[in-house]
Amino acid sequence: MKFLLKIFDKNRHHFEEGGKLRLFKPVFDATENFHFSPATRTIFAPHLRDPLDVKRFMSTVIVALAPCVLLAVYFFGLRVLAVIFVSYAAGGIIEVLFAVVRKEEINEGFLVTGLLFPLILPPAIPLWMVAVGVMFGVLVGKELFGGTGRNLFNPALVGRCFLAIAYPKAMSSNWINPVLEFPGRMTQYVTSLNTDAISAATPLALAKQGNWAGIPNLLFGNVSGSIGETSAIAIIAGGIFLLFTRVANWRTVVGTLGSFAALGFVMHLANPQIFGPVVWHLLAGGLLFGAFFMATDPVSSPITNGGKWIYGTIIGVVTLLIRNLTGYVEGVMFAILLGNIAAPILDEIIVKIRLRKLKNER
Amino acid sequence: MKLRGGYNILLKGRPNSEEEVLCDPEILYLPLQSPRFNFSELCVEDGQQVAQGQILAKDPDNFFVPLLAPRVGTVRLQSVESHIVLENIEQKSEEAIADSKEISVQEKSAESKRKKLLDYGAWQFFYDAFEQSLPDPAKAPQAIILSILRLEPFGINGDAIVQNNLPDFIAGLEKLQSLIEYQPVYLVMPDTKSELTRYVREKIKGKAWVEFMEVPLRYPFDNFTVLARSLGLKRGSENPVWGIRAEGLLAVNKVLSNSQPYTERIISFAGPGVKIPKHLKTVPGYPIDQLISDRVTCEETRVINGGILTGETVTKKTKGIDSECSRFTVLCEHTEREFMGFAMPGFGKHSYSNSFMSLVRRKFRENITTDLRGEQRPCVACGFCEEVCPAGIMPHFIHKLLYQNELEEVEKHRIDLCVGCGLCSFVCPSKLELGKQFSDAHDLIREELHPQSSEPEE
Ligand code: SF4
Ligand code: SF4
Repeated sequence: MKFLLKIFDKNRHHFEEGGKLRLFKPVFDATENFHFSPATRTIFAPHLRDPLDVKRFMSTVIVALAPCVLLAVYFFGLRVLAVIFVSYAAGGIIEVLFAVVRKEEINEGFLVTGLLFPLILPPAIPLWMVAVGVMFGVLVGKELFGGTGRNLFNPALVGRCFLAIAYPKAMSSNWINPVLEFPGRMTQYVTSLNTDAISAATPLALAKQGNWAGIPNLLFGNVSGSIGETSAIAIIAGGIFLLFTRVANWRTVVGTLGSFAALGFVMHLANPQIFGPVVWHLLAGGLLFGAFFMATDPVSSPITNGGKWIYGTIIGVVTLLIRNLTGYVEGVMFAILLGNIAAPILDEIIVKIRLRKLKNER
Repeated sequence: MKLRGGYNILLKGRPNSEEEVLCDPEILYLPLQSPRFNFSELCVEDGQQVAQGQILAKDPDNFFVPLLAPRVGTVRLQSVESHIVLENIEQKSEEAIADSKEISVQEKSAESKRKKLLDYGAWQFFYDAFEQSLPDPAKAPQAIILSILRLEPFGINGDAIVQNNLPDFIAGLEKLQSLIEYQPVYLVMPDTKSELTRYVREKIKGKAWVEFMEVPLRYPFDNFTVLARSLGLKRGSENPVWGIRAEGLLAVNKVLSNSQPYTERIISFAGPGVKIPKHLKTVPGYPIDQLISDRVTCEETRVINGGILTGETVTKKTKGIDSECSRFTVLCEHTEREFMGFAMPGFGKHSYSNSFMSLVRRKFRENITTDLRGEQRPCVACGFCEEVCPAGIMPHFIHKLLYQNELEEVEKHRIDLCVGCGLCSFVCPSKLELGKQFSDAHDLIREELHPQSSEPEE
């Protein structure tokens, strides 16, 4: 790999102060540091550091999402890849543009947003909508707040929320019927014009009409739904990996799923006719995906442990209430956005309590 | 007893228990500054012949703690900046010990014994557990914490010292008790059931004033402040808490039983950059160049005075071992850029997170350099810094408040509780210099918010 490093060394001067391409320094730096870990040394104590950096941190999330992506390609076809590609490309443009204007580094956080966003869209959604949605999400959800680390909301959810409000019809119809028999739809490219592959409703919508999808199907994922949200097994596998690596915090996940299950159990006991069994509700829709991958986004969730418990509980309860008591079929997205709003307040409360305890410490 | 946070770094280059006695060099360079002291008051003249143990200089701000001549020699004051140079070193001989003015072998009062320790160079092994400074020998403490642990990579192996000097250690405990009246001594041992702990326990059975404290072997649970807090002791300027380590106890024992100045030092010379990490027996002023030559493995090294997480880089300006030094840690400087390192499995990388494949391997010690291992980024709110912090404060919040320049809020978040262990900076994936920011901010708060009381508590 020496030759590659030489190429970087040889061309660096174009991007430095006074070089022809100095505007694109963030792009050059990002490319170089993607290939070669930086040469930076510690200056102050501690003289050595943990190997985990933000690149690794974000890559871990991507690895955790891999099972969802693979199963989605199997069930819904190659179009899934096109949606992901468009999301990365369109969102990437915004990200680079802001890095250049602000003269800051390109932040790796985008690699996660750019993949999370397509996974919560209907698989046959028009590609231009994907582009508009991700651009809106990155721009409004993140950059206007000052970039990664300062955003209040999860940018992927902001994009999705925007699409749901602006194009409600497209967002609730472009579902694809999965194919279970090998090789699935792995060789197909299904668009919304392909009417016999297109399905009208997701299991949650059908359930409102009293038509309950089988639990094995929900587990495996051969039901219609958003690209990455259908297979409970893939989500749980990736999610547990994420919790194990400590990149996502288990308190949020347990808080969300626990409160959802507890309240769901009570409601089911109260009226089994209307409210489905807890396990079914846990596996259906976007709850698992939201709990493991969306709610756990560290930046937009509370940072205190106490805050995480409450935040998770809010998300779980609100999701269940929206699902069962309103006209909406799915409530995870709104629940998490609501949680995002509450996060700073929860932190403030918990910090107040913590500080009161610390006060007496000498 | 509550001990929070903490984390062990499994680093290559742990010193073995071997003790190499270094030959006396021809010339000694005694730095006038050391981490706690500034020996600004000179007591000798240029060209003067001094005896072993003679006082060369004192620190007027620290109860006139002395800098002793480790050997017989001729003083040079001007030849190296901020050092006293000792030339024509005579090999150590027992008779050459300086006779001090008032040889009073049997001091009675505890206070006069403490005074003796001060003059004979053993008082510097005592720490104020909360301030990390030198305690006032005139004041009786509320308690003493005697710790044989050294958990930061790498310090003197307290186990080995105690093991090699068991009778002296036990005798030292008696001597320690004679410095106080009725206050308790907490003996901090590892919570592992070793032969040594059992033996020491057995030996100490009858001594009611010694209280055992078993501590899990996790950095920084050997920190005096952390230990004192977990014992429920309170900061107090009238009756401080003393901290002392195994090597200090041996020094106390030597001075009080032979009435001779203590000028020997045991230092650990370890770290991934050292060929054979071990303990060295030497004297303050030993030339650093001579110490390093042949003993390190790589061309470009960083020599750290102290441990790897809290020590200071030794610069070219410092020519000799300072009188407080108990360890040098050597790291190789980072030179190789790794190809796509973030995407590799990482079988050889330990991490606080579980995101590297080293998890599937059996326990091993890693060879780490001064690599920052990543680029600086805004805080990603992972919360690791809070998890490892032994002080129970919230480093990420304090970082944010400092960024917004809210010093008063920072103070409310109890930045003063930070013990400077450096773990938060170590684990931070965004590579923020949290520890450094906090110590700077702490000083700033003292200056800006409390200008009257900026003097350290007396
Ligand atoms: S350096 Fe201070 S803030 Fe950081 S972990 Fe140690 S005690 Fe906590
Ligand atoms: S370890 Fe670093 S990135 Fe993580 S919360 Fe603390 S300051 Fe933020």
